[in-house]
Amino acid sequence: MSKDLENDLTRVIGRAAESAPQAPSDLPTQVMGRSRRRRTRTLASVTALAASAVVVVAGGVALSVRGLQEAPQVAVEPAPAPSAERDTMPGPVEQVWPDAVRKIPAKLPEGRKLRPVIFLDDRTLLMQTWASHEKADALYAYELDTDLTRKITDIRTPKGVFASAFTAGAGRIFWQTIEDTRTRLWSVPVAGGEPAAVPTDTPIRQGADKLTVTGDRLAFSAFRGGGVFTVPLDGGAVTPVENAGRHHILSWPWVGTPGEYTPDEEPSFEELYNVETGELSKALVRPGDRYVRCGVTTCVGVNAAGKPFFRLRDGSQERELRESALHGLSQDRFMTVRLPRPAQGEALVDLVTGKSGDLGLRPDAKGQMVSVQPGITNDRLVWYELKDKLVIIDLARIASS
Amino acid sequence: MEDDSRFTEFVAERANALLRYGYALSGNPHDAADLTQEALVRLHRAWPRVRGKEDPERYTKVIMARLHISVWRRRRREQLAWAPPETPLHDVLPSDGDQELWQALEGLPRKQRAVLVLRFYEQLPDAEIAGVLGISQGTVRSHASLGLARLRAAIAHHSPAKGNAS
Repeated sequence: MSKDLENDLTRVIGRAAESAPQAPSDLPTQVMGRSRRRRTRTLASVTALAASAVVVVAGGVALSVRGLQEAPQVAVEPAPAPSAERDTMPGPVEQVWPDAVRKIPAKLPEGRKLRPVIFLDDRTLLMQTWASHEKADALYAYELDTDLTRKITDIRTPKGVFASAFTAGAGRIFWQTIEDTRTRLWSVPVAGGEPAAVPTDTPIRQGADKLTVTGDRLAFSAFRGGGVFTVPLDGGAVTPVENAGRHHILSWPWVGTPGEYTPDEEPSFEELYNVETGELSKALVRPGDRYVRCGVTTCVGVNAAGKPFFRLRDGSQERELRESALHGLSQDRFMTVRLPRPAQGEALVDLVTGKSGDLGLRPDAKGQMVSVQPGITNDRLVWYELKDKLVIIDLARIASS
Repeated sequence: MEDDSRFTEFVAERANALLRYGYALSGNPHDAADLTQEALVRLHRAWPRVRGKEDPERYTKVIMARLHISVWRRRRREQLAWAPPETPLHDVLPSDGDQELWQALEGLPRKQRAVLVLRFYEQLPDAEIAGVLGISQGTVRSHASLGLARLRAAIAHHSPAKGNAS
């Protein structure tokens, strides 16, 4: 038998596996319920309001308003804080930051929904339309000064293949498609044209979590396991970035470990490495800290006492927050918090200036509300739909004083 | 919610294959169900990001393998949402020799067994096994050869005519 042990193993494990239990028909429902309850626990512990506050679950389901990021799955409705601690209601975002907020039509003239992707430049948004959920079928440029929409290109992808990780630079737009065994990179001129594959000397086996243009090269990091690579914008050799074999792109030239996705609640981007200068940065994480999300200069999380905190990566300027940012701070300064009753909507908070603005979102009759979550790896764009309009917030246009 | 309908579809189509894989990894129906359920919960939480970017089944299998070899599994166990029925092993492994080999697998450390399952059940090359388990290829090879050696030794101890244990 031992000579054929390897063949025997294939047969025996394969046959034995046939006696595995069958999935119950309601397994999807059970799994989703469990996932949401766990999310609730996460939210409940990061919410950690005033000591007297109680967190109850409204049972509502929030929709993701941002394509590829994990959306909070359960709306949590904090009980009212004692009146002495009740926050004052912030003004609407468009009044708090008039230079940074725009409301634009949510649909093309022929009726298809437009979904913002990234800023192409200060005054131009890249938009996409979808053939089906998250399956982009065309790209558009939207000029914020003139409100003109211009089609850039159509995108055609096979069934089950999605264009993702859009980025722009050097007058072009880049993205990836992930098929079973390989990932392809694509580009199209911002001015318009047909998408063209960016040829690579070796096949890319893994999907990227982020693409970014750096000079005359396209950089990307592998979603699973990390690893940062670059390829010339016109294609060629895929070159690993030295000393970044397990890293994920945070904000070029900063790459780090672990990435944004940390399934076991490890601190995200605890270690950073500057691929241009070689500078290293390890974030201070105290014993008992949980849900730590670090950016280029800051970290947020929940401390051992259950209090949400903000601090710089080196541990300085630490202070408590009313809530913790589930996905970390965008631009190292922005997060959303829930508004107190009776509004129960969401506010965008700038931790640098202390200003906050009401996003205008409110729970519907069923208690469900879209949640906007800026995060560490998101760029300057925050967007959501409100009353048939798209609200566009350019975080880069919010002054820091 | 459209995301949920796609997730439901995925679970409905692939849960039994995942359970078989969990059974191959763990050797018992409870751990198979536990691993599958936990990995699917994690998949659901990452669903908007995973789907469209990569193969959700592969993603789930990576989680299951890593959970199985991690300390986490020995510390914490959530209650199962359902009680898996046991299928008598001799229904699928009528030969005594096959049952012996299956039982010998039980005696292996988790990592050795995981490497053998990924190599001989999932038919993955060593480089991919290294990626799935988050270990080096050298470690994959050493776990595989140690595991195979232990199996050979365990089987050699038993006589081929040993009776059915069930």
